[in-house]
Amino acid sequence: MKKPPGEEPKDELTVTPPKKWAAGVPAVVHALEYSLEQTSPVRTGETLLTMNQVGGIDCPGCAWADPSPGHRHRNEYCENGAKHINDEATTRRVTADFFRRYPVSELARRSDMWLNHQGRLTEPMVKRPGSDHYEPISWTDAFGLLSAELTSLDSPDEAVFYTSGRVGNEAAFVLQLFARALGTNNLPDCSNMCHESSGFALHETLGTGKGTVSLHDLHHADLIFLVGQNPGTNHPRQLSALEQAKLNGARIIAVNPLPEAGLLRFKNPQKARGVIGHGVQIADRFLHIRPGGDLALFQALNRLLLEAEDARPGQVLDHDFIRANTSGFEEFAEHVRAISWEEVLTATELTREEIEKVRDDVLRSERVIVCWAMGVTQHKHGVATIREIVNFLMLRGNIGRAGTGACPVRGHSNVQGDRTMGIWEQMPDSFLDALQREFGFDPPRAHGLDSVNSIKAMREGRIKLFLGVAGNFVRAAPDSAVTEEAMRRCRLTAYISTKLNRSHAVCGRAALILPTLGRTERDFQAGGEQFVTVENSMSEVHTSRGRLKPASKLLLSEVAILCRLARRTLDGEPDIPWDRFEADYGAIRDRISRIVPGLHDFNRRVARPGGIQLPNPVNEGVFPTAVGKALFTCNAWEMPHTPDGHLLLQTLRSHDQWNTIPYTSDDRYRGIHGSRRVVLVNPADLTELGLSEGQHVDLVSVWTDKVRRRAEDFEVVPYPTARGSAASYYPETQVLVPLDSVAEISNQPTSKGIVVRLEPTGARRSPKTTPS
Amino acid sequence: MHSVEETIEVAVPVRTAYDQWTQFKSFPRFMATVKRVEQVRPAVTAWVIGYGPVRREFEAEIVEQEPDSHLAWRSLERGPSHRGEVSFRPTAAGGTAVTVRMDLQPRGLAGVLTSVPRMAGRVVRLELGHFKEFIEGLGEAGGAWRGTIRNGHVRPVEPQPPRSRVPCWPVG
Repeated sequence: MKKPPGEEPKDELTVTPPKKWAAGVPAVVHALEYSLEQTSPVRTGETLLTMNQVGGIDCPGCAWADPSPGHRHRNEYCENGAKHINDEATTRRVTADFFRRYPVSELARRSDMWLNHQGRLTEPMVKRPGSDHYEPISWTDAFGLLSAELTSLDSPDEAVFYTSGRVGNEAAFVLQLFARALGTNNLPDCSNMCHESSGFALHETLGTGKGTVSLHDLHHADLIFLVGQNPGTNHPRQLSALEQAKLNGARIIAVNPLPEAGLLRFKNPQKARGVIGHGVQIADRFLHIRPGGDLALFQALNRLLLEAEDARPGQVLDHDFIRANTSGFEEFAEHVRAISWEEVLTATELTREEIEKVRDDVLRSERVIVCWAMGVTQHKHGVATIREIVNFLMLRGNIGRAGTGACPVRGHSNVQGDRTMGIWEQMPDSFLDALQREFGFDPPRAHGLDSVNSIKAMREGRIKLFLGVAGNFVRAAPDSAVTEEAMRRCRLTAYISTKLNRSHAVCGRAALILPTLGRTERDFQAGGEQFVTVENSMSEVHTSRGRLKPASKLLLSEVAILCRLARRTLDGEPDIPWDRFEADYGAIRDRISRIVPGLHDFNRRVARPGGIQLPNPVNEGVFPTAVGKALFTCNAWEMPHTPDGHLLLQTLRSHDQWNTIPYTSDDRYRGIHGSRRVVLVNPADLTELGLSEGQHVDLVSVWTDKVRRRAEDFEVVPYPTARGSAASYYPETQVLVPLDSVAEISNQPTSKGIVVRLEPTGARRSPKTTPS
Repeated sequence: MHSVEETIEVAVPVRTAYDQWTQFKSFPRFMATVKRVEQVRPAVTAWVIGYGPVRREFEAEIVEQEPDSHLAWRSLERGPSHRGEVSFRPTAAGGTAVTVRMDLQPRGLAGVLTSVPRMAGRVVRLELGHFKEFIEGLGEAGGAWRGTIRNGHVRPVEPQPPRSRVPCWPVG
């Protein structure tokens, strides 16, 4: 067993020039370094060589699709996936002794990094009301405590059941079944905070909530947009697909407020050109856009395409597609022709010439794909932006055709699958009717609470019990101070977790830690060894089988924990065979196959190499919207008002980080080393603001409620961010994101569009109130 | 660029010949050079073809398809690439004239083999003969896809074909 660090790492910032390429040999070295620091060479080999292979472990790091069976590399993983999987495979252990040594109040003072580095949780723990320590509890007593709390609620709607995207399909299905059998649709998930805007926009305009693109489409596209995303850090395996597309002749346009290394050049460490050569240039054109300016950009492009059609009638737009498959074109065209160039240029900080060059690229391209991530979704007009992207694609028939389409790039490995399984507070009646037919109970029909509304309900005392399956809700959620206060108001919080995080330290009056198997570990049940299934960002549903011996004999799988809890709480009513589900996950998949359309014959089909490709209706010529056609939409935007002396802040992850968990204080591609408390600002803005490199500032966000949200003591780093914007690390800056600052329609926090001012620490006027 | 055109008459009605042709996954059953076909989507197919030890994989997009009339395709690879069209015309005798036209832009070893115009023509003629033998022998098609494709966009016959029945609710 490796020894965890006792002390917090020292915070000493060094800044080097940002990298102009991603991956290469350093990626391999860093991945191995971190893996070997966490675990043994043998375990590292066992995890890495089976990762993303047919019949192996699905990397929990991201939701990027795997190449077809027979076309995968022997090393089918990226630096961050390797770090992530061995972060889970670590031989460090958190035992009862650890909790005797560290009171909860002390854990709440520790950093996210330190908590994570303590290792794997090994036995169930309870914090009793009034106590400042977790203490061991038997599984039987833990289930007894949790089910007693659940059954004592005045209403099932006083509980929420949160899912993070690591959870496999089987556990997700069981969780939603349990919640609905109990009588609530309170099923918030991490999607609420990352791609909710994508789901709403795509569902409204195309009738499908998922992306329409496969890896093959990317390989065969002529032109690919990468909008508001950082593939080098957040989806590194996307770079291999982009490399393939480039080698096939594609052009790539990157649109982002930061010139990220992975957008510029990729050195594929599995190819000679990536090891000893210069790699492959990714972006042929880089648009240094202001955060949130994407809607204005795509509207301007759409106007330019309409004007190109005016100049060359019948040669620019795909009239046949528009006539046969869409509705609302005339209104859209009228709306977009009236947009103001002046407003577009202000919103984007681009020049008209830059946008016209993009139009020319589009006109030269027969097949166009737009990829996007949270740089698009986490804005007030995130849904509108994606609707406008759909308008853009449809104008030239770039939807439902080979090499074209809409590609939301998702983060958590099974975030898409969890939704397919019914983890959503607003599931349609068709799904609930199918549950009713299959299990003989009437699921609740009233919509439940999403993440933001769950926090509000907890804050108001309307939620008494919070159960989290995976994740780190306290750190993933916005408005950290409000969220933490809300969590502390709960009577009981319980987490099914693999590792320690801040959500265990900022908890309800009573709290449970229910330790579970990781994705890397073998899962033996009464019915034999089990596997789970997951669905990637491109709708491929496939298996994941753990290979390692579990971190502790006392761990239960997520499915087992949920089935035991459900059996204990529901006491046979309705009659659901929880024990059979626990013994054999195939029995769960049999039920799923009768409830979730497209997953018929689930067990047989998912066992095939590569699993099941869920079709997208759009590629079948079907647009299941309310009117049976794809919709053109008219979208308005209002950029956040940034008063003089203020900047528009986007929160982002470092390269050495997985979601809320930093592995180290380094961000090698951006040249930040040894500290995460930095704010990246354009040098011209620094001059205007009278600030200088190395100065220490507090970040103070501005919101309509006049509450002063402050993240203290950040060091200023000059960086080529878009003019008028700043960037700083998540989750440290979550404290600045007001709970009410959400995207219209999707209710997704606007973590990429927060108005802030930078106050030199010498001028600090209020005491420190924010978490570290 | 090399062009090939071959026609064969088959003694089954146009509908039978056309319907059988839409069943791409069955092609390895009767064609000598087609080793495997995957129907990725109605308008996209993935092919493994070969002769002797040589294998080539490619994906093809069906750009136009009109039931009982014709379908046109193109390979999605930049090189080697090809495009083609197969058309179905009724004959006076009640059978069908099946015509295949292909334009080939060869590259690589497989490309060299198919770059000899007469060889490509011979392969197409041979495979059309296999098709004739197969469909005349069975007498009826082993399936049918009756949708239409225009400029790569699918227009299904049914409003909700089975493959479109999948979860459509928003995914965050």
